[in-house]
Amino acid sequence: MSIQEIRIKNIAGLPEVKGNEILYEIQHSLRVESVTAVRTAQVFRFEGVTEKEAKVLAEELLAEKIFQEYTLNSPIVNNYDYMIEVAYKPGVMNPEAASLMKAARDLDINTLQAADSSTEYFFIGSGITQSEIDLITKRLVVNDTVEQVINEKPQTLVISGSLGETEVIPLRSMTENEMVRLSKDRLFLNLDEMKIIRSYFNDIDRDPTDCELETIAQTWSEHCVHKTFKAKLIVDGQEKEPLMKRLQHATKKANHPLVLSSFVDNSGVMDFYEGYAVCGKVETHNSPSAIEPYGGAMTGSGGVFRDIMGTGQGAKVVSSTDMFCVAEPGLPFSEVPAGCLHPNYLLRRVVAGVKDYGNRMGIPTNNGSVHFHRDFRAKPSIIVGAYGILPADKCTKGEPQAGDLAIAVGGRTGRDGIHGATFSSGEMTHRTISVNSSAVQIGHPIEEKRMSDALLNARDKDLIRAITDCGAGGFSSALGEMGEDIGVEVWLDKMPLKYPGLAPWEIWQSESQERMVVAIDPHNLEQLVEICKEYNVEATVIGKFTGNKRLEVWYDKEIVCNLDMEFLHNGLPQRIMTGSWQPQTLDEPADKQPAHWPATYKNIMATLNVCSKEPIVRLYDHGVQSGSALPPFGGVAFDAPNDATVVTPVLGKNYGLVISHGLNPILNNIDPYYGSLWASAEAVSNAIASGLNPKDICLIDNFVWPFPDEEALGALDMAVDACTDFVQATGMPFISGKDSLSSTYRSQQGEVIKIPPVLCVSAFGRLEDVTKTVSTDFKVDGSQIILVGYRDTSQMGGSTYFELLGAVGNKLPKLDPSKLYQVWQSIYTNIQDNSLLACHDISEGGLAACLAEMCFGGNLGAKINIPAAQRADYFMFNETAGCFLTEIPANIEPGQLFKDIPYIKLGVTDVRPYITITHGDKELLDVSINELKASWQKPMKEVFGG
Amino acid sequence: MRPNVCILRTDGTNCDVETMYAIEKAGGRGQLTHVNQLRTGLVNLMDFQMLILPGGFTYGDDVHSGKILAVELSSFLKEKMLEFVQHGKLVLGICNGFQVLVRTGLLPGGTPGDITVTLMNNDSGRFECRWVDMKVEASNCIFTQGMDGSVVNYQSAHGEGKFYTGKDTLSRLESAGQVVFRYCSTEGSPTLSYPANPNGSLNAIAGISDPTGRILGLMPHPERFIEPYQHPNWRRRKLKPYGLTIFENAISYAQQM
Repeated sequence: MSIQEIRIKNIAGLPEVKGNEILYEIQHSLRVESVTAVRTAQVFRFEGVTEKEAKVLAEELLAEKIFQEYTLNSPIVNNYDYMIEVAYKPGVMNPEAASLMKAARDLDINTLQAADSSTEYFFIGSGITQSEIDLITKRLVVNDTVEQVINEKPQTLVISGSLGETEVIPLRSMTENEMVRLSKDRLFLNLDEMKIIRSYFNDIDRDPTDCELETIAQTWSEHCVHKTFKAKLIVDGQEKEPLMKRLQHATKKANHPLVLSSFVDNSGVMDFYEGYAVCGKVETHNSPSAIEPYGGAMTGSGGVFRDIMGTGQGAKVVSSTDMFCVAEPGLPFSEVPAGCLHPNYLLRRVVAGVKDYGNRMGIPTNNGSVHFHRDFRAKPSIIVGAYGILPADKCTKGEPQAGDLAIAVGGRTGRDGIHGATFSSGEMTHRTISVNSSAVQIGHPIEEKRMSDALLNARDKDLIRAITDCGAGGFSSALGEMGEDIGVEVWLDKMPLKYPGLAPWEIWQSESQERMVVAIDPHNLEQLVEICKEYNVEATVIGKFTGNKRLEVWYDKEIVCNLDMEFLHNGLPQRIMTGSWQPQTLDEPADKQPAHWPATYKNIMATLNVCSKEPIVRLYDHGVQSGSALPPFGGVAFDAPNDATVVTPVLGKNYGLVISHGLNPILNNIDPYYGSLWASAEAVSNAIASGLNPKDICLIDNFVWPFPDEEALGALDMAVDACTDFVQATGMPFISGKDSLSSTYRSQQGEVIKIPPVLCVSAFGRLEDVTKTVSTDFKVDGSQIILVGYRDTSQMGGSTYFELLGAVGNKLPKLDPSKLYQVWQSIYTNIQDNSLLACHDISEGGLAACLAEMCFGGNLGAKINIPAAQRADYFMFNETAGCFLTEIPANIEPGQLFKDIPYIKLGVTDVRPYITITHGDKELLDVSINELKASWQKPMKEVFGG
Repeated sequence: MRPNVCILRTDGTNCDVETMYAIEKAGGRGQLTHVNQLRTGLVNLMDFQMLILPGGFTYGDDVHSGKILAVELSSFLKEKMLEFVQHGKLVLGICNGFQVLVRTGLLPGGTPGDITVTLMNNDSGRFECRWVDMKVEASNCIFTQGMDGSVVNYQSAHGEGKFYTGKDTLSRLESAGQVVFRYCSTEGSPTLSYPANPNGSLNAIAGISDPTGRILGLMPHPERFIEPYQHPNWRRRKLKPYGLTIFENAISYAQQM
């Protein structure tokens, strides 16, 4: 039957929101002036319905006559100069299609075979050229990896195809060169690893199938097995314990009483209150986000949420975090390396991806940050985290038993994201985008939400033995790991597919999102399927656990993969790697004081790493689940940032889950050890400033590092040492972590860009009563402003102030974690005693930025004095972590509160909304907080609007 | 007596649990009910005194926000809903639930199938989450009894919340007193200016009721302000959780049924 087309647009006179957005980009980003208006229309296509039925769909479902009009099988906009229609590529799941099918059934239209939707763009203006349209299409309208321009009405919307064959690869007869070629772009293994695989197949006297090679490559990928973190390490000639062991040993030694599980499950779990536990996981999604930032960030969020959902016997996600490192949005196009996306586009699209996934799933995104550095132009660091709650007695997984069933729950399997695990382990090159575009896809948060609802219900009925998510490596990874100790038999022909035409190995390796695997006792099957059905979730038996310690994958009657679990999981020999890091001497700035203090202050506030990120936070639903006791922004005008977020995951109870983080790529470039200490201290200080007890904190590490050559590995070794020293000094353990060691870009001409090494430390903890927490906004006119903490203000290396002066500097803050602990203890005690009206930790932009933000929040001014003996600019702009600005009542002697912790009484809050600074008896500045605020708010408003 | 409240959920509903909490705190007995349970008859709508459609992204807000659920309800539960309303029971739609109510026609006329107003894309083109002030208008709305003239602060979080309709319908709603909430300045004057009016709604309309005052729909989220500490500025001044009042009013009315 033919396809019915319905086109819809808003009636004349109503705002063209989407069209105007594109017009703005055309005029401002592309600087194309010939286009004067852009209009859009939606196109819906239905296959298998009559024209009469299409009319019903148009009127009852698609077009709302109050503000829209429609046409059936004819154009809807006739006056334009250029038109393009954009649709998802065949095979990329259009999330709307399933809703169209459902609504048609609900309207009693039962012959519909397939539906699709797309968008028409109409460009109006005189003198528009084809090359301008091509530019607009490429840069703004079409996302090449998932979308395409449609030039004619499709013949059919039904995707057909026949089953792909399983191929036997003649590995045993291959030369070394042939093995290298096979590995490149497909397996991402090195020659030594290929040889080990060859010898395994020599031993069993046959050649491998494609499915077996893919399975081994996935299991042995850096992404899944962390070869570097497990390697035997030789640093400057000395053998050292593998990085991962070092972290785990430090945690074990700390023996923190609240830790329920560390480094073994999909997330780290700590005890909460009244029989609950909380868990946290932070992931990177750099490679997919670099080539398709919207889909990459979406699937990053979806994946880390499933890590929480797949913790123990299943947890509920209560918070989402996002930390991005990108180049500056104003980067000239000529500076964008070949094969890379412009940072302005990239940043807006990753934000949109996090927004659409979290908002739709109903998970508040309430902690995060953006860091800008030009060296991220070749590859961003996209870090997403999630936190959850679950009953403490369900926080460990059961072991699958022989005879247990493996059930696939959630979305169907398509050709999405194949090679994600192996791909993200490789370096990024100019070829990355074209070769690996199948490694990205569009997420479907509604699928994940209903799956989560169903699984939590099943967990509460004790139906789940073990659960894990399908992330990188798909079923191969999920079932390979679940059956590691016992063996599993899998039936690929049973897997529900999005469309036919996949080869068995593709089904096995597909990274289609929103799927999880659960192991259950066969007696529970009926009940599980029933629950899933109630939530509109598919649940399918796809295999069973055997007890023979083999991985046997079948397609119908053909065995396509038959491997020994022992070889698969332990056949990869430990690597021996060497590392050595030498400090480099970086530029020092000219030694002079600011000539014009108000201008310098405003410039600091307007730097990208200091400026307000509020326009991003507004796009995230940070209030859903109603658990926010300390939101990202507060204060009189709701525009002052807080240090951490505090949520109440058990409604009606005052128990708080505190979440914060710290990272600083610039300091890591100067010195990976002290840079990493800074990140840890910053994460913890953010949590402490909000009221968390230093005894109740656990940490999560994310190392986002260049490809581990000797120098990068030397730096990584120092960063890990910093982490373990931190654990030893503070007792705060790392209980989950991830490394991503592929932040290196190599161009066709051989240019190498190493992305700055990032250690992101996330902190989370529990507190008993959220009413004993503080925010950063000044509360009362005339109260005292006290600076608390240890700092040497000459340690200015890596500061925003130095960056403004055009240098990095070498002398960075060298923190002592055991001294910091005393400061944290003091801040915590004073918050418990209700002695602090406000508290804010000092970070980028130094005391100056910290003070200004506190003034913004209270709509109050401040009068402060810099001690005459101090150098004024360093005093104001030093960025030593672990220092706090506090507001205390006028009548309290600060010495009574802070005792032997170093503190300075800086001045007082003031009803006149100006910041006035004197140095000794000299006035440095008297500037309106509104002026400072305008400078501080401008940069992100320019990128995100608002 | 604790009135029974049906909190309707389906794929993509995501403010159901906190809405349930609000109902329980206000003295009701909430039941999270999947639309499938109403369709199969496992749960009977008439067993409840009140129906709430909570916030979220039902069916991904595909086509229009709330549209797919509205079509589902209009196709399978039209008579049930009509019966429910005609028995004088209460209906509340929050955010996505408000979008569903206008797309079924239950608002503003109380007549399923008669769709006369809409909630469309925010003028900004963006989803935004921010606390907004709203003036409570004098009306016969059950949910806002005793709140007339006050200014309440709720969190709004939506991308499609611009209230829009034709001139005639608009003036009919105004003269019938069906406008219940208006976005306003901190001083309480209704406003069209962004961001106080976060979406460009006509006449600053944030919430409306049907002529009987028993069906209410609003974009901002009262269920997010049930405990004092849910407000960003509870540390600055003592705040009454105004969100709770809406639910308390409904429950005390339902108790008389």
